[in-house]
This record gives sequence, C-alpha cells and structure tokens, in this order.
Amino acid sequence: MRYQNATAYRFLAPYLLIFSIFWLWPIISSFLISFQATRTVPWRFAPTFNWGRLIGDPAFFNALKNTLLILVIQVPVMITLAIVMAVLLNSPLLKARGLFRFAFFAPVVVGEVAYSAVFRLMFNLDYGIINKLLNSVGLPRIDWFSNVTPAMAVIMIAVTWRWAGYNAIILLAGLQSIPQDVYEAATLDRVSKLKQFFYITLPLLKPIIVFCAVLSIIGTMQLFTEPFLITERGGPGGGTETLGLLLYRQGFRSLNFGYASAIAYTMAGLAIAISLVQLWLTRDPK
Amino acid sequence: MAAVTLKNVVKRFGVFEIVHGANIDVNDGEFVVFVGPSGCGKSTLLRMIAGLEDISGGEIAIGGKVVNNIEPADRGIAMVFQSYALYPHMSVEQNLSFGLRMNGNPKADTERRVKRASEILRIAELMKRRPRQLSGGQRQRVAIGRAIVREPQVFLFDEPLSNLDAELRVQMRVEISRLHKELGVTMIYVTHDQTEAMTLADRIVVLNAGNIEQIGAPLDLYDDPANRFVAGFVGSPKMNFMAAKVVGNDEGAAIVALANHCGAKLRKPLSGAPPAVGAEIVLGVRPEHFFEAGEGDCDIAVKADVAEHLGSVSYVYANAGPEELIIEREASRQRANGDQMVVSIKAGRSLLFDKSGARIR
Ligand SMILES: Nc1ncnc2c1ncn2[C@@H]1O[C@H](COP(=O)(O)OP(=O)(O)O)[C@@H](O)[C@H]1O
Ligand SMILES: [Mg+2]
Repeated sequence: MRYQNATAYRFLAPYLLIFSIFWLWPIISSFLISFQATRTVPWRFAPTFNWGRLIGDPAFFNALKNTLLILVIQVPVMITLAIVMAVLLNSPLLKARGLFRFAFFAPVVVGEVAYSAVFRLMFNLDYGIINKLLNSVGLPRIDWFSNVTPAMAVIMIAVTWRWAGYNAIILLAGLQSIPQDVYEAATLDRVSKLKQFFYITLPLLKPIIVFCAVLSIIGTMQLFTEPFLITERGGPGGGTETLGLLLYRQGFRSLNFGYASAIAYTMAGLAIAISLVQLWLTRDPK
Repeated sequence: MAAVTLKNVVKRFGVFEIVHGANIDVNDGEFVVFVGPSGCGKSTLLRMIAGLEDISGGEIAIGGKVVNNIEPADRGIAMVFQSYALYPHMSVEQNLSFGLRMNGNPKADTERRVKRASEILRIAELMKRRPRQLSGGQRQRVAIGRAIVREPQVFLFDEPLSNLDAELRVQMRVEISRLHKELGVTMIYVTHDQTEAMTLADRIVVLNAGNIEQIGAPLDLYDDPANRFVAGFVGSPKMNFMAAKVVGNDEGAAIVALANHCGAKLRKPLSGAPPAVGAEIVLGVRPEHFFEAGEGDCDIAVKADVAEHLGSVSYVYANAGPEELIIEREASRQRANGDQMVVSIKAGRSLLFDKSGARIR
C-alpha cells in the first residue's frame, strides 16, 4: 500500500514540481513581497509600507471605485442579457440554432487586441459607426473617449459583448437540463408561459445563474484588457483605471512589486468576499 | 364527470403517421386502459386527449364538447406523468397548490382541496418535503395528488407505475383502483403491462403500431380475442401458437392437423364457415389450457426442457420440433431434463387464426 503510494507520487512529481515553482511559490512569494518595501535595494521587511499606502492612496480608491462601478452595472446587465439569449436559443421556434450558438460564443475566441481595435473604431468620434447611427436617428454624436461616463459605458458594452454569449451557453445547458414534462404539467395547471419562466425556469436555473455571476465577478475584478486597450490605459485621465490596470502600472511601469502585490491581494480578497456574499444571499432557504 | 370520445383520430409527426384513425368511446366514470407494446402510440393518444399534442385528423370530444382547439387547461382533465413531473423546487404542498395559486383560486378553497387530496393519498405528513426527499412511491402519490386537486372530469395516467419496483407497483395498482371507486370519475390509463391492464380496467383498448386491435372487457379479451396479436398480448405467460393445417370439414367443424406433432388431429367446431381444406392456419393454446394426457380432445407429445416452479404452479418450457411451448402444470415438483411428456388439448380451450392473424371463429 505504502509502496504503491510512493510510486504514485513519483509519477506525480514532475507535475507537483512545476506546480510548486510556477504556481504555489508565486502566490506565497507575492504575499511576502506585499509586506516589503521594494523601492529600495535591498528590499526590506516593512509590513505597513504598502498596506499603509494602499488605504490612503487616492489612485487606489479611484481604481476601486471604477472597478466596483463596472461590476455592479455590467454584471447584472450581462447576466440578464445572457438569460434572455439562452431562453431564445432554447426556443423550439428558433431556426439555425447551431449558427446562433456559434455566433454567441464566437466573441470569446476573438483575439483581445483585435476586438479592442474594432471597438475603438466603432466608437470613433468622427467616423465610428456608432456615432453615424446616432446621427442618423437625429441624436448628437458622442465623444466617447474624452469623457469619463461614455468611456465607462464603452468598457461595459465591450465586456458585455464579449462575455454575454459565453454565459448564455452555460445557461442554455442549464435550461436544457430542466425536464420538459414539468412545463407540460404547468401548462395543464393553466400557468402562462411568462409565469412558467418566473416560477419554474428562474428558480430551477438559479444555481447556474449564481455560478455565472461568481465567474463574472471574478473576471470583472481583474478587468484589464478593455481599459488598457480601448480607453487607452484607463483614460481619460484615469477615469476608467481599474484595479487590474493600477496593478500593472505599479508593478510593471513603476516596478514597485511590493505595492503591486498588495493590490493583487486586495483584488483577490474582494473577489472572494463578493462571491461569498453572493452565494450567501442566494442560498437555498432551509 | 365526462365521457371521452375519439373519432377517426389521426396523428402524424412530419410524414410519419403514428396513429391511424382511432375510434374509442370512453363512458362517463369508466376506467379504460390503453395497452400495447412500447412505441405503439399510447402516449401520443393520451397526450392528444390532454392537448399536449396537436390532433392531425379526426375529433376528440370530452363531455360531449369537441376539444380539438381547446387549451389543455380548459379540457377538464388532469394528467399524471410517467416521470411524475413534480416541480423540483417546491414542497409537496406547493406542488399541489401551484396551479390553483397561479390562477387566483380563493385561498380557503385551495387549502380545502390540498387537504382533501393529502387525506385521500395519505401524504399529509410529507407536505413540507421537497420531491427529492421522497421515495418513488411517495412521489407517485404526490403526482396523483396534484391531479386530484384540479378536480378534473377525466384523469389521464401515462405509465404511472413503470418507475416503481414490483412490490410497490402492486400496492399502487390497488390504490389507483380504490381511488377510481372513491372518486367515480373517468380515468384513462396507459401502460405496456398487460397485468396492470387486466387488473385495473373496466375496458381495455389494445393498440399495436398505431392501430386499435380490439376494445373490450379484460376477460372478454382473454376469452375471445379478435386476433392473434391480442391473443398473444393478453395473458401471462403468453399464448402458445402452433402451426397447423385444415385437413377436413365435418358439420361446421374444422379438422385440424398439428404440423409439428406427427399430424395429431383436433376437431374444432366453428360458428362460421370453416376454412378451405388445405389452408395453413395457427392453433393457439394458453399455457393454462393444457390437460393431462387423455383428458382433452387431442394428445400431443413434447420434450420438456426446463421447468420453473413457482410453488402453486410450474411452467414447463417444452419443445416439439421448431416450436417452443409453455405449459402450466399444477403443483408439479418434477424436474424436466428432456423428458418426454404428453399433454392434451381441448377444442373448446383453443383458438384458430388464419395466416394473417385474424381469428377463425
Ligand atoms: N415528438 C415526436 N416526434 C416524432 N415522433 C414521435 C414523437 N413522439 C413520439 N413519436 C413516435 O411515435 C411513436 C409512438 O410513440 P409513443 O406514443 O410515445 O409510444 P408509446 O406507446 O410507447 O407511449 C413512436 O414510434 C415514437 O417514436
Ligand atoms: Mg409512452
């Protein structure tokens, strides 16, 4: 028995080794680094140096505010949209289901840089299609990237476009696992399609919805690509700077690894905390 | 309460015709069982009555009113599904009351109906549980309870017992029978199990590949099947079929020679015209209708291969040439290892079928 275990571990050893070096160690190491002053050589242990700076840093609170703002608006909108898309995909009336499924999922596999470039073009002040459309219905064009509110809106629209279909596919799997005869029983009970959706579909889909919400919260907490590429490093004037961007700026521009680590741990802690609250709020009443 | 009438009902899925013109009259308060092998269209027929499937042709009337274009909820029916189809996220109580609550039924009336259903089915102590916390039999009760709460004119059951173990099935069968007596309401019940059909039904509708083979009381189907399919389907173990040939006529009786039994001959009186001499026919004998040698009208010798002793009776699997016969013996304790065995057939306890399977009476 013992011998067999040893053999198993010997087979696992290469994986465990790589796992420890490239995964476990960075996690531990960055935690330790967050307690060190890293602007001086050699680094020295100073527990309040980074964490103390964090709680008084307006840039941090700006990034935190922006991240949370995107989170509370974009995630619910996207999940709602994803549910609607999933229900439409699941409709027996829909033709060419496979095509739609692919189309909804496609944004996830499009390269981030390419998609960001396309969004910049679409929202371009002078020749972007969005402003052309606004003009054509008699609305004034919007300078999307020079003002904070429209810039935030572009980021939320972009992130929603990219991930709504992905969530819709997950939700679709959930929808398809609800047995058809439950709906037939409800039809015999004279329950309208709309009430069936609210009283049967949504409650039965709840675990999947929560799963999607937690995934999205974790993803949005780490938001980086869109504010980096679409609104050009959190512009205008830091108005769309997220925690992910701040971390990048501190870690890779200013090479302040200690502070960047502290930010990283704050992000992870917040993602976990918000997800737990979410799970707690939507738990099954016993 | 209501009668249910099907007139030339046809069902097509795309180009496939699944039900080919069904005519069935279910009387008010009657318990009718649709029975037939899997895939013969029983569920489809039931779902058309419920309104869950469109009717491709013909007419269905419930309580004298044609319901072809009436919504399922307005047909005065309730259905119990094979998979129970309980709402998984609701307690038993909520499952029972859901339909009424959604339709703004007065609260006191809803409570009264739920209470009554829970008493009839003895599920009062389960009211706060979720479906997944119930056993199969309990779920089945809740599903029936949900139907009772609707106070329908017609109950529809689609193989309600097929997910239960054998013992529970017998128990629930009795309970459904009791429920029918208690409520006195029309019930249409679908099953592939002929035992369930025989024990529950006032009348049975035997279906095969979308056709109605025969409609009749259980014992009428047993005694007087219209054709070889019904004869083989009703009764357990199945009726034996032996190849035979008409070798003569005698005052309205056919003289039949059994092909695989050295030409053993049986004189079978018929009410109609006997078939032509030389016609190839089939003789049907139920396992329980073999008699001791010499007691019947025609003795045959068979080789007994295997015997199943059930206690009160035994079933001997015997063969004669290419034919396998199942023979019921009372209180036999004999082993069968290829022993020769002579049994006897009575003309009055055998049936004749022509090549196409139609009965020769
Ligand atoms: N929605 C459907 N589309 C196409 N064929 C169907 C559909 N439902 C049932 N059928 C076919 O109709 C036949 C009868 O089905 P069903 O009524 O379920 O049989 P059963 O007697 O076992 O209840 C089967 O051959 C089945 O394949
Ligand atoms: Mg069926």
